[in-house]
Amino acid sequence: MKRDVIVAVSFLLAFLFIAYAVVYINVLGLGGAELRPLGEFYLGHAFAHEGLTSHSPEVVTAIVWNYRGFDTLFETFVFFLAIMGAFSVLRLTREQESIVRELEAKEPHRQMDLITRATTKLVVVMIVAISASIALHGHLTPGGGFQAGSAMAVALLLLFAVFSKFTLERKGLNLRHTISAYALGLALILATVLAPVFLYGGKVLEINLLPGETGLFNLDVGEYTAVTFGFLTVFLVLGVSEWIFKTVLRGEVDD
Amino acid sequence: MISFLLAYITLTLFGMILLGIYGVATRSNLIKKIIMLNVMGDAINMLFILIGYRLVFPVFPPIYEKHITFEEFLSRAVDPVPQALVLTAIVIGMAMNILLATYAIQFYRLHGTVDARDMAEIMGGEGE
Repeated sequence: MKRDVIVAVSFLLAFLFIAYAVVYINVLGLGGAELRPLGEFYLGHAFAHEGLTSHSPEVVTAIVWNYRGFDTLFETFVFFLAIMGAFSVLRLTREQESIVRELEAKEPHRQMDLITRATTKLVVVMIVAISASIALHGHLTPGGGFQAGSAMAVALLLLFAVFSKFTLERKGLNLRHTISAYALGLALILATVLAPVFLYGGKVLEINLLPGETGLFNLDVGEYTAVTFGFLTVFLVLGVSEWIFKTVLRGEVDD
Repeated sequence: MISFLLAYITLTLFGMILLGIYGVATRSNLIKKIIMLNVMGDAINMLFILIGYRLVFPVFPPIYEKHITFEEFLSRAVDPVPQALVLTAIVIGMAMNILLATYAIQFYRLHGTVDARDMAEIMGGEGE
């Protein structure tokens, strides 16, 4: 009880201190009409019609894939590690997969009512269209592969909630295919990153050397594919019913 | 008026960050910890975007367009650096969420609990 009071009081004091620092001293520099020098540099130098250019009139994309390209590249790898970490915890051996398939066949067939299903179909088509436009226009308009991939993942989650895992698997989006698509997206990114070295004798990630906007376009599309199918891979494993997974786990413990 | 609004929003965001830290530190349920981590992360992202904002009117997104002159663009466009930072942070946050949620779910399946104190006992450490 006494500890709770101490914690509450110390949080209140911290808040008051931050409030004083932000409002009276303005440590964050909020509310100015001036740009920071770094921001001004990026805005001024990102796009030029001739000479060295990032090929992107959208300065955020120029920063993400040109100025801070390595950061973004390694964030892709962080994403890969997170997905693979989740996937390796939930992995199933080949026998377990066949047990799961047997048990899933026994599951009762349920579906939501017509209004929900019809609306979801409409909304999913719209989300897919919008996410594709975000990804393919990534170098011209706000957004890019990451954003488009997360939007697409939302569409797939909607399909999961309203229809089921089996609907997706019947349409061909099973685990093997999604992992292959994920690998394809990563391969596209790696190929684009390494292409300047082998084709033009430049350095890794020097995508300005590639003709026109190919580099940015490829990276956006690769990121789009990778994020979408990375999420879908984990959703597919998480979508296995709780009782089925418990049965499989119990079998593992008994062995 | 505008400075009052800015201070109000900023302090709300800082309050959310502190709330997130409080929640992560004091709740023992793992799912609640993950939720508070999300509250904190989103507040921090919002704060970043707010720092990049400029108090000019009209304010432009950081995208070159043909009908805007270069000087006008420089004097009106918002700071692109915080946006670039947040862009990747959101997706990495989502991936981290998936990882944490997966571990919590798997722990629940194996041991029937998501309580951090029970977890410490099960793993052989010292519970409270």
